[in-house]
Amino acid sequence: MNLYKYSIIVFLVSLLGVAFPSFAQGQVTIKGMVKDAQLKQPVDGATVTTGTSTTKTSDAGVFTIEAKPGATITITHVGYAEKKWKVPAKPDELVEILMNSKDDPMEQVVVQSFKTVKKSTMTGASTVISGKDLQDRPVSNVMDLLQGRVAGLNIQNTTGSPGSMATINMRGVSTTNVSSSGNLTPTSPLFIIDGVPVDVNSNYQYGFESGGAGISPVSLIPPEDIESMEFLKDAATTSQYGSKATYGVIVITTKRGQSKVPIIQYSGSYFYTTPPKLRSVIGGQEERRIRLNTILNFDTASRQSSLEYINRSALLSDSLNPYWNNSTDWQSYFYRTTSNHQHNINVSGGDRRFNYKANLNYYNQQGIVVNTGFQRYGLNLVGNYMPSDRFFMSMSLTQQLGYKQNASGVGAYQTGIANTANTSSLYPPPSLFSNSEALASATTKNSGKLNNTTGSLNVQYEPIKGIRFTNLLTYNYSSNASDYFRSQYLAQDSAGLFSYNDRSYNLYNRSAVNFTKIVNDVHNFTAYAFNEITKEGYRAHMIYFNQPADDQIWGPIGNSFTRTAGGTYSNISEGRIHAYGGDFAYNFAEKYIIDLSYRLDNTSTNGPTRGYTKSPAVSGRWNFYKEKLFKNASWLNSGAIRASWGKNIKPNGTIFDVYGKYLNGPRYNNGQTVVIDFETLPNVEFAPEVAATTNIGLDLALFNKLNITADAYYKAIDNQLVESPLSNTNGFQRVALNAQSIVNRGIELAATLQLVQKDDFRWSVSANGAYNEATLAKLPSGTRSIIKYTTDANSSIPVINKLGTIPTTNLLYVNRGVYANTSDVPVNPATGLRLQYGSGQGLFFQAGDPIWVDVNGDYIIDDNDLVPVGNPTPKLTGGFNTQITYKGFTLNVNTSLFAYRDILNLVLANQFANYGKPTDITALIPINGYNYWQPANADRSSGTVGAIYPNPYDFRRASALGPFRANQTLFLENGTYFKLGSVVLAYNIDRNFLRNYGITSCRLSLSGNNLYNFTKYSGVNPEQVSTLGRDISGGYPLAKTYSFSVSIQF
Amino acid sequence: MYMITKSLRLIAIYLCGGILAASCGKKYFLPRERNNIGDDAQFNQAVFQPVLGRTTQYMGIFVPGSTTFPAQFRIINARNVATGQSAPELTNLYPVMVWKNAYTGKETSLAEIEAKREEQYRPVLEVGGSGQLTMWSMAKSSFIRSLPDSGYVFDIELSNSGGRRYFTNFLLQPFKERPFEPTNLDPITGQPVTYGTHPSLVTNITGDSTNANLLASDIDVFIQKVASGTTNNKLTFRFFDKQYNPINPDRFGATDWPNLVHGFNMTKTATGVSYDVSYPLPSVKLPTKYTNGVGDRAHLVFAYNTFDSFGAIVRASMAFDFSIYENANWEIIFVFSKDNPKFN
Repeated sequence: MNLYKYSIIVFLVSLLGVAFPSFAQGQVTIKGMVKDAQLKQPVDGATVTTGTSTTKTSDAGVFTIEAKPGATITITHVGYAEKKWKVPAKPDELVEILMNSKDDPMEQVVVQSFKTVKKSTMTGASTVISGKDLQDRPVSNVMDLLQGRVAGLNIQNTTGSPGSMATINMRGVSTTNVSSSGNLTPTSPLFIIDGVPVDVNSNYQYGFESGGAGISPVSLIPPEDIESMEFLKDAATTSQYGSKATYGVIVITTKRGQSKVPIIQYSGSYFYTTPPKLRSVIGGQEERRIRLNTILNFDTASRQSSLEYINRSALLSDSLNPYWNNSTDWQSYFYRTTSNHQHNINVSGGDRRFNYKANLNYYNQQGIVVNTGFQRYGLNLVGNYMPSDRFFMSMSLTQQLGYKQNASGVGAYQTGIANTANTSSLYPPPSLFSNSEALASATTKNSGKLNNTTGSLNVQYEPIKGIRFTNLLTYNYSSNASDYFRSQYLAQDSAGLFSYNDRSYNLYNRSAVNFTKIVNDVHNFTAYAFNEITKEGYRAHMIYFNQPADDQIWGPIGNSFTRTAGGTYSNISEGRIHAYGGDFAYNFAEKYIIDLSYRLDNTSTNGPTRGYTKSPAVSGRWNFYKEKLFKNASWLNSGAIRASWGKNIKPNGTIFDVYGKYLNGPRYNNGQTVVIDFETLPNVEFAPEVAATTNIGLDLALFNKLNITADAYYKAIDNQLVESPLSNTNGFQRVALNAQSIVNRGIELAATLQLVQKDDFRWSVSANGAYNEATLAKLPSGTRSIIKYTTDANSSIPVINKLGTIPTTNLLYVNRGVYANTSDVPVNPATGLRLQYGSGQGLFFQAGDPIWVDVNGDYIIDDNDLVPVGNPTPKLTGGFNTQITYKGFTLNVNTSLFAYRDILNLVLANQFANYGKPTDITALIPINGYNYWQPANADRSSGTVGAIYPNPYDFRRASALGPFRANQTLFLENGTYFKLGSVVLAYNIDRNFLRNYGITSCRLSLSGNNLYNFTKYSGVNPEQVSTLGRDISGGYPLAKTYSFSVSIQF
Repeated sequence: MYMITKSLRLIAIYLCGGILAASCGKKYFLPRERNNIGDDAQFNQAVFQPVLGRTTQYMGIFVPGSTTFPAQFRIINARNVATGQSAPELTNLYPVMVWKNAYTGKETSLAEIEAKREEQYRPVLEVGGSGQLTMWSMAKSSFIRSLPDSGYVFDIELSNSGGRRYFTNFLLQPFKERPFEPTNLDPITGQPVTYGTHPSLVTNITGDSTNANLLASDIDVFIQKVASGTTNNKLTFRFFDKQYNPINPDRFGATDWPNLVHGFNMTKTATGVSYDVSYPLPSVKLPTKYTNGVGDRAHLVFAYNTFDSFGAIVRASMAFDFSIYENANWEIIFVFSKDNPKFN
């Protein structure tokens, strides 16, 4: 890619022509060229002023201005710090003025369709984040650093488990599939890491909430090694990644050697992680008193049965027994403050012809939950060779190892610990005789490993000027392993070893030929054709040994061979993708740009009658600031309008959906038969998911200090997979159909303002926001809604996919308060009976019960009264960042905003529900602050008027009626939050001082991460909710991180 | 060149489309959210044979599928099967007592029960918001065709803002009134076909002359209307021996007379016990201390203490579960037709 950069420079320099100086009376005519100090590239559109006259630099960065010797020329540009240059008595023929970059997006070199182009000729929508913005904050997953940075990128740290991946959605949620753990299946963008495609959505393991053993491949990328990250959002930019780019593309480029003198850079961080504020819990005597009073005062049966109920529970009646007479703070056994460290060494050097880089990374984070943690070891080698301008070769090799301890849970959830931490305080502290799950959490050996090897080779050759052949070959092999051992004494003498391993590979080759032609210096044609092949496979195995000989011998066979099992998972896959296509771009003086591309893909899961999927894309750009009209508009530095339309595909389903599954049948005539599995009907018309995106964008740079980018898009994802059940007369159970569509529409706005631009004091603020509206546009066979019953960690709340509204919504009972009196309950005029829950259960509503709206008016509250309410995915996402640099100090503050989303507070629901289970061993959390119903008379037929929460003590009916069920609007809360993501204070020690010690630069920094959420949400953290908007208490809490980092360069 | 102009045209078209779709924000290309009438919705019952004179409600007969609520149901095209003529008697409004407050079984006066009901005008056949079908108690065979007539056919219209759908050819074939249960009336003809009925349970009652345990079939029970006075809310229990001589109710000395039925103003004479009650009895299908376990029948227990053949004191009892649907003065008569009970 570097070669493209250089070829652009060469092209621009060639445009320069020859310059002759001329002299006027008293004044000198200065002809100069403004260049980027780092890239040595010409800077166009810079304003050059002497105070009396003003001009702008040309495309080639050249300007001509008349000035008196000794005067000061000021050069300003939106992307650069202001530059003052004093006119000498006799200037050079062509003076060179270097400007220091302000990280201007317009001048960035960006990726579009495997081509590297200048942002000013880019037709698509993309955002670039520099690696510099990702430093000084140690995180286990680099995506954590990007929250609120990119318009349209919604990152939710739904789990705080180190090494797991956040939920990433670019331009809205694109699925309605719900996993068994109550999350939407991920639709993360495709990652391209140094040219190697990494699809984090595939091989998704339920429960791990990510691929493999709970370690996300993205968490293996050291942020210190990232040169830049680019977020490709529309079809024009993603079209050439076609075969998996439906959900957007994130291109990560690692650092390259750029200095002739070798550079050795060490970065290290020491950081503390602290758990969030733990809940206050009612302990000891007070807890027992509440439980006893509940039974004595709120029993609907007789006094005698109340006493029997108490006597049956040793927890309550045997209060003098030391076993039951405790006040244990369970949370203190599981949550901890940890100190952690990470180290990174980067060795690089070389020049244009030959450069190299080696990066070594070690990261160690102990989780805030005991017995959890994550370690990362990484090695990345890159070498670039360019013996002549016509030949270029780049090689890279990456080896990464992630190691993760999971306590007794799986990656994303720690349900065991969450439940145990929620144990009644009356129990004695964790021991074999108390809640042994506590010991299990702390001692179970449960670890996952992800080993990831990546290699790539990029060769380019230009036999004739203008025609360039390129070939990119990448290989990625990753293997996950996970072991889980539960000791005998924790498992009723039947120890168990569960061992999981999987491996996946991806081999990718792309050959292309490029053609570039410039006619009359203004007509710029580029065309290229490519052919690409992907081969990928995945298989996972497990083995389970039950009752091995003892705790030390883990196998080879268990005592209980009937319960010992092993084999290969059914999600084994092997696939090929073949694609070819071309691209044609025309550019008139960088003013009018049009880009046409076309690609054809065939995948193993395309039905045989489908053939190749055609994905065209067209895009254009008008750099209107280059029009004559704006020639003298000094307020306008640059301005462009972009438009694009195009299609992308994403392989869907499995090969079995297309061809069916064949099994070994019974033997017939002494021969083996092969029979079809009647589970899934083959669908030879099966097609991949297709996204068609229309994007309109505006880029503006104003007053030398304000950059604005705005985009509006309409993205329709068609052909989504729906498992459609078949009539039982058919023989087959179901068929996979391409019958669902989701449309995401939205606008994105990003602005950067350089408030102060002085040499020793710079202050910039940037803000971005995106509003996305997702709509379900199509369902199979004319259905208008599909209801799915899902069970997640704590609740069973159905969801609905309803046409014309957001794709997935929770179905809830509408709550209108609490019946203050029994006589307030409506009566069925025909039967004379009060409103009831279910039919025939005798659960008539009474005082203290929630008022659920009987939507269909049958005086029965049941599933027919559920209503889709709430929006689990934030519609408005955004962020506000500011950077202040004063002398050596830099202060960075990053914030993010997520609005228009609703959360079901399951934690609060459980908190209340626990009061209805007086003999359960769950902890009681105070509810004093809540307005709940309390009886006013002995028979409990009337009570608090205007209460919000139902009677929590009605324990006899609670389990059947479920007054605190989570699927009611009572627990639906506004999930809007504004997050103070991080504050970084860095100090660069004076170079002159450092030089004495042989150090080129040294940077010290302090940072705080995940600092505070401003929210009206009453739960712990509005970010840590499932993708269905449910605050599941089994989640892994998000830690606050405080770090001290050093970065030294030799 | 043709390809290029075609592409340019495409660009123009898509740009315009894009501007409309993306910037205006109107749902030009998208389905709207609306209520739905499910194609998969259906009624799982097509023939209704309620008994006239009682309020009968058919719940859960509508399977909504993907129908969204609220939705409106309406009975249309009610017509006579035999003649095909329309049947306005099904949809005309008639007065009927409906509940406005819940009956609990704990009311302490007749007025308190009556205050929980009010008279409303309703059609005899009504369909509710969830498709539940109600045949009200004022439907009488005097103006409603009943079996063995082939009855009525009607259609149900289901509508909401998402559209409407018709479910056709439901059959309504009511049985004639059977104002009390257990009944000796034939469901088709409404005429008595057996000689009374028998108690539900008889325990430890021995015959005076045979000294053998009496079976339920040895005792006849008659439920009958009596014309007396101006009121029509009396319920009287009488007992007769095998010679049809009245037995003094006091002989059933272990009976909990005040809580025998949910009735008031008990008057006990040598020939019977009577209460002021509210019909139908039981008032609603709800288990109370006056009813059986299901709640659909009033539960009577008459008992006395006696000696068994070994001289031990045992409780002898006779239980009878019944229901009455018509406002009238009713008498329930127990006749020990085989042998008189041995009270001591």
